[in-house]
Amino acid sequence: MRTCKLSLLFCAVVLAACKQSSPQAPEQPPGGAPAAAPAATGEAISIGATLPLTGSESRIGGFYKEGYELAFEEWNKKGGISVGGQKLPVKLTLLDDTSTQATAASLADRLINSDKVQFLLGTYASHLVEAQSVVAEQNHVPYVQGGGGAVEIHKRGFKWLFGLLAPVQLLSGAIMEWVDAQQAARKIPRPAKIAVVWENTAHGKDFRAGVKDFSEQHKGGYWIMMDESFELNGKDFGALLGKVKNSGADVFLVDAHLPDYITMQRQYVTLGLCHKIQSYGARGSEKQAADALGPEHVRYILSSVWWNAQLGTAGLTKDFADEFKARYGRSPEWYQAVSYETARALFLAIEKAGSLDRDKVREALASLNVDSILPGGKLSFPASSGQQAIYPFVVQQNQPDGTSPIVWPKESATSAGVAPNPDCSK
Amino acid sequence: MAQALDLAVSAVLLAGLYATMAYGLGLIYGVLRIVNLNHGGMIMAGAYAGWWLHSSYGVDPYLALVPVTLAAFAAGWLMYRLLVRRLPRGAAGGVQSLLLLFGVWLVLRNAAYLLFTGNDQTVRTSYSTHALPLMGAFLSVNRLLVFAGALVTLLVLHILLTRTYLGKAIRAVAQNPDSCTLVGIPVERIYALTFGLGTALAALAGLLGATLFSFNPGFGSTELLKSFVVVVLGGLGSVAGTALAALILAAVEVFAILVLPAYLTSAVGFVLLVLVLVLRPGGLFGQRVLA
Repeated sequence: MRTCKLSLLFCAVVLAACKQSSPQAPEQPPGGAPAAAPAATGEAISIGATLPLTGSESRIGGFYKEGYELAFEEWNKKGGISVGGQKLPVKLTLLDDTSTQATAASLADRLINSDKVQFLLGTYASHLVEAQSVVAEQNHVPYVQGGGGAVEIHKRGFKWLFGLLAPVQLLSGAIMEWVDAQQAARKIPRPAKIAVVWENTAHGKDFRAGVKDFSEQHKGGYWIMMDESFELNGKDFGALLGKVKNSGADVFLVDAHLPDYITMQRQYVTLGLCHKIQSYGARGSEKQAADALGPEHVRYILSSVWWNAQLGTAGLTKDFADEFKARYGRSPEWYQAVSYETARALFLAIEKAGSLDRDKVREALASLNVDSILPGGKLSFPASSGQQAIYPFVVQQNQPDGTSPIVWPKESATSAGVAPNPDCSK
Repeated sequence: MAQALDLAVSAVLLAGLYATMAYGLGLIYGVLRIVNLNHGGMIMAGAYAGWWLHSSYGVDPYLALVPVTLAAFAAGWLMYRLLVRRLPRGAAGGVQSLLLLFGVWLVLRNAAYLLFTGNDQTVRTSYSTHALPLMGAFLSVNRLLVFAGALVTLLVLHILLTRTYLGKAIRAVAQNPDSCTLVGIPVERIYALTFGLGTALAALAGLLGATLFSFNPGFGSTELLKSFVVVVLGGLGSVAGTALAALILAAVEVFAILVLPAYLTSAVGFVLLVLVLVLRPGGLFGQRVLA
């Protein structure tokens, strides 16, 4: 009996330490924070954001911080945002949401109601955005996010939420298009056997949907031999990978965040697995993964991303890449590009609205259609997709020389890519 | 058949890690009747210590086991002398010890954030991804070493507790500290040594875990929960029971993938915990004391 009591107490304390919680359901919209948030003459426009600067998503959170800071610095150098004929500087209040949903939501509430920020930029990772966007919606604060690509986030009919990440379903669809091109070139068998493994989140479900939809549309071309989900931040994938091995798949497609990608790929290599085509969704080309696993164990991995520095050799993309290199001494990845563009989209909307009135800025975001550094070169938030931007993904593949050239779509490709993986025949 | 062999190998190797994680927690509970919530913090500290020695001085993580374990033993001994011995003994001290050691864990975790940031770290050696073939399956060299570490730890603990004067004194104190005082056993010293030993075992588990997984200052939370499940399954205070319980938990989790979606397999252990608490509150192998 005493053991039982002690166990319950123990579990309560440890679970509190783990800080896991589910997203809050949206309540009936209250009056919200004051609709107008005017700044005094010359006063900085106050914009709030949280990012996962500690916890499981901290590394990517750090990348997003770099993009936000670059955008704020760049616009302040120009004198700020032009509002009603007057240039106002922009001030970022950035807090650490510790990679947990509850903290992301409560800090958004603090930013709005205690720090009195006028607008919000989103955090990173779909599950955090999903929880945090509820607070912005309840308080009627424009919330522009570039960290959550799950379709589910934008299916809730929120009016104050604007997303820069194109739907994850298109991400896996882009990988499948490249796979299809390899099949057409007879580099992989027809039908090709696929094992699809996805993290058990909205992000993972969209990824899986993209693969399934493509396979169904190309009947006879693909057989899904294995379709399994796994827990986020997993430690042991041995049994799951054993199942992958027994599926006899030619193509191994995973949707995972960076820590899970590194853990799973290490176990994949030690189990002696090798597939003709392999992808971890949006992960694959990160330097940390090559450092943690060794460059020889990440080669030929495909990744489908929202941006790639090779996209633009001129215009906005080049300007961004040059400025980023000048400030940080290295090339940007898609994380920094998307966060930079997220902040820029909000700045442009404020300028377009010509006012700091939240309603007017929301309307300006809803009708925004501007040149962008994102693939396709244009950014808008169509109402038909729940104000989630739609644009093509770029697929890149790690090469033995350490580069990750774009292999898809054809018009942007800088390399044809390699299939099947030559390491499998060694 | 091949799949069953793969899963069995996976379960045995995973059991080694679970057992190593749980020994320290079980030992401290068995003797001091304290659930050491800072076990998770020491697992994290052990991982960082091994990583720091490897990345700064190139020390192989398995060679680093010796200095890291000794340092953790000293830290545990000090923690007992400065903090834990001030707690009330028996049931009255249960809540206080949970809160105190939880506080220590939070301090350690935040210190790690300050020192090492929240970025994930990995220990990569020349053999990190090496594997040995066995009847069509591949055995990770790292996992084999972790498993060997678990066996050696079990053996050393067994010899220590059954063949040495110190071990006999630890078992005696676990059974009846008041009588031990009467026959001249220095109970406080035994408590301090046991707490140090349990802390050292936590750090050892952390360092072994770091050779397999990436980690950040949050590392240790899941490991603490798993350790707790193993210790309760095995019967709080039983070292051999801990090892067997680790094997059972690992086997249940690994083979569950044959009938359950992969994301549910880790929950199977907690279902097992609830069942054991309801049906056999003393654990699968009884409430024996360090036998």
